[in-house]
Amino acid sequence: MNQSSGAREIILLGLFLLVFGSVPFIKQSDYHLMLANHVLIWGMFAVAFNMLFGVTGMLSFGQALYYGLGAYSVGLVVKNYGSAMFLPALGLGLVLTIVISILVGLLVIRLSGVYFTVLTLAFGQLAWQITFRWYRFTGGDDGIQGIMPSGLLENHTVYYYFTLALVVVSIWFLWRVANSPMGLVLRCIRQNPERVRFLGRRVRRNQLRIYVISSFFAALAGGLMAGVTNSIHPDMFYWTSSGEVILMAVLGGIGQFFGPFIGATVIIVIQDVVGARTEYWSLIIGIIMMIMVLGMPKGLVGEIRGLMARYAAGKVNRG
Amino acid sequence: MSRHKFFYVIALALIVALSCPLSVFAQEKVIKIGALYPMTGRAGLYGLDSVDAAEMAIEEINSKGGVNGYKLELTNTDSKAKPDYSVMVAKRYITQDKMHFLFGVVSSAVGLAVTEVSKQYKKIFIGTDHASTQLTTDKFQPYYFRVSNNTFQSMAAGALYLKELQQVKPWQTIAYIGPDYAYGHDQWEELRYNLDRFGVKYKAVGEYWPKLFAPDYTPFITSIINDKPDILVSGFWGGDTVAFIKQAQPYGLFKKTLYFHPDAGGNYELMSAMGTELPEGLVLSARHHNNWPDTALNKEYVEKFFKRTGRYPTYAAEGAYAGIYAIAEAVKKVGNPDDTEALVKALEGLKIQLPEDPEGFTSYIDPATHQVVQVQAIGVTKPNDKYPPAKMMLGDWKIYKAEDLLPPKDYADRQKKK
Repeated sequence: MNQSSGAREIILLGLFLLVFGSVPFIKQSDYHLMLANHVLIWGMFAVAFNMLFGVTGMLSFGQALYYGLGAYSVGLVVKNYGSAMFLPALGLGLVLTIVISILVGLLVIRLSGVYFTVLTLAFGQLAWQITFRWYRFTGGDDGIQGIMPSGLLENHTVYYYFTLALVVVSIWFLWRVANSPMGLVLRCIRQNPERVRFLGRRVRRNQLRIYVISSFFAALAGGLMAGVTNSIHPDMFYWTSSGEVILMAVLGGIGQFFGPFIGATVIIVIQDVVGARTEYWSLIIGIIMMIMVLGMPKGLVGEIRGLMARYAAGKVNRG
Repeated sequence: MSRHKFFYVIALALIVALSCPLSVFAQEKVIKIGALYPMTGRAGLYGLDSVDAAEMAIEEINSKGGVNGYKLELTNTDSKAKPDYSVMVAKRYITQDKMHFLFGVVSSAVGLAVTEVSKQYKKIFIGTDHASTQLTTDKFQPYYFRVSNNTFQSMAAGALYLKELQQVKPWQTIAYIGPDYAYGHDQWEELRYNLDRFGVKYKAVGEYWPKLFAPDYTPFITSIINDKPDILVSGFWGGDTVAFIKQAQPYGLFKKTLYFHPDAGGNYELMSAMGTELPEGLVLSARHHNNWPDTALNKEYVEKFFKRTGRYPTYAAEGAYAGIYAIAEAVKKVGNPDDTEALVKALEGLKIQLPEDPEGFTSYIDPATHQVVQVQAIGVTKPNDKYPPAKMMLGDWKIYKAEDLLPPKDYADRQKKK
C-alpha cells in the first residue's frame, strides 16, 4: 500500500462514516434506519465472504451456516435467558463459530474447486435441516420471535450506531488482512496453490485461517441481524442465504475489496424498490443481473474503476 | 465500446423507471391496508386468491360509498414467504407508508414475525390465512386479530367427528402423516389433545413425517399399509396433498383405511387439481367451502369471485374477504382508521356475517384471544361437477358448533410452560 492509496482509503472511510453516520438525522422514518442496517450488515457479510471467494478463490456455498449460527445463538439465549443476555449471546455465537468453523474448515479445505463448494453447501444444508426439524429446541419452521436487545441498545438509533461501529471495525480489520502479507499469500493461493507450496508457504493453514475469519464475520452479521429484525427463521441457514451473498459479491465485483459492499447495497435497495412496485421482482432482478454479467463482467465497482482509469489515461494522452 | 454503451443505457433506463414515485396515496380519507401475501412459489395461489378476494370486498364497500366517507385501499407486497423480508416490508408499511392496518400472510412463520412488528409499533395486524394456534394463545398480543379458523379449531372439530364416528362404526387404531415442520407437528399434537379432552379411546399405531414438498411418498404408503390403521389423519397442505393421494391410490390405501384430513384437506385447490382422480369417501374439511353453507351470501360470494377471476376460490380467499369486512365494520364503529386503541376495542367481540356462516350463526371475534369464532363443517368427497374443473366436492356434512372448538382457558398457559 503506498501513501496515496492509503490517503484514498482514509477519504473513502470518512465518506462511508459520513453517509452512514448521517442516516439517523436524514431518515424520514424508522424504516430507512432498518434499510441502512440491512445494507451495513449484508455489506459486511459480503465483504467477509469475498475474502474467501474473491481473494482466496474458495467459493463457499455454505456461509449461511455461520450466518444462521450467529443469529440462532442470539435468538436461543435471549429466548431462554432474557434480553439482558443479548451481548453475551452475540459473543457466544462468535466463539461457537470459531470452534465449528475450525472443525468444519479442517474437513472442507481438503478439497478444492467444485468439491469444496459442494461440501460447504452440504454442511450448510445439514445445519438448516437440524434447525428446521428440531422443533422443541429451535422452534422449527416457526423461528424465534421477540429478540430484543436490552438497555441502551433497545433504542433503534443506538442499535444502528452500534452496528455501524462494529461493521466499520470489521471492515477495517478485513481490509488490513487483505493488504497484509497474509493477504498476498491468499491471492497467490487463488492463482497457483502449488507454487505457494514450493515457495515454502502453507496453503491449507492459510485457507483455514481465512475460512475461520470469514465465518466469524458471517456469524457477527447473523447475530446483529437478529437484533434488527427481532425475529429469526431457519431460512437464515438455507442455501439461498449463501446464494444471496454470492450474488452480492459478484454484482459488486469480486476483484475489488469494497465491491461486495456496493453489491449488497444495490441488491437490497433494488429488492426493496422493485418489491414495492411489482410482484415480478424476480424478473427485474434477473434482468439486472443479466445486464451486469454480460455488460459489466468485473462487477459494478470493477467497471467504475475501469472507466475512471480509462478517463485518467485519456486525460494524460490529451494533456 | 458500443456494446458497453448499450448496457449502460438499459441500466440507466431501469434505474429511472424504478425511481418513479409509487402510486400516490395523496387522496384524502383513505383507509390504507398493507398486505403481505406470497405471490410466487408454492403458496402463490393462496396469495393470488387472497388479493383478488380482498380487492373484491374493497370494490363492494367502496361502490357503496366506503366507510364513514373513507375509501379502502389495499397495497400488497409479495412477502416471498420470507419472514425477514416481511418484517422489513411491515416496518415500511407502518413507518413510511403510514398504513392503518397490516393484513394477510399465508405462512405461520411470517405471521409470527409480523405480529412482533405489530406489537412493537402498536399497529393492528389482521391475520387472514395462517393457521398456527400460537398467534392467538401463547404468542398472543393485543394488536393481532385472526379472521379464519386456526389448526386447534380444525382439530377440535376433527376430534368430535372421530368421536361420533366411533359410535356408529367402531374404530380403534389411528395413524398420522404430515409434513415434518411446525404446522404438521402442531396438528397431530392438537388432535391427540382434543381426542383425550373429549374422552375418545384410541391407539396410535404410526406417525409418518415426510419432508415438506417431498416428491415421493411410496415408503410412507407401504409403512401405513403394514401398520393397518383404521383412520389415517393427514396434515398436508397444497400440492403435497395432491401428490400423496395420487401416489397412495394405486396401493388401494383408501379402501383399507379412512383418509381423514380436517384442516386443509377440503381446500378447493385439491378438488380442482385432481378432477375425477380424487377418490370418493375421503373425509375432509377446510376453512371455507364453495358448496357449503347453502346460503345466499355464500353463493353470491363464490359466483362473484368466479366472474371476476374465472376460477373458483380456495379457502384463503374467504379469509381475506372476511378481513376487509372486519376492518370496514371496525372503522364504521370508531369513525376513523387512526385511533388504534378504539379500533382494537371495536374489533373485540365484533360480529360479522360471512359467506361461511350457516343460517342462524354470525361469526364473531373472541375478545379474550382475538380469534374469530366460527362453525366448522366436515364433509365426505362425492361426485359433483358444479364447480369445474372439480369433479368431486364435499357432501354429507357434519357441522360443529363454534364454541365447542375453542381451546380451553388453560391451554395458552400449558403451551407457554412447554
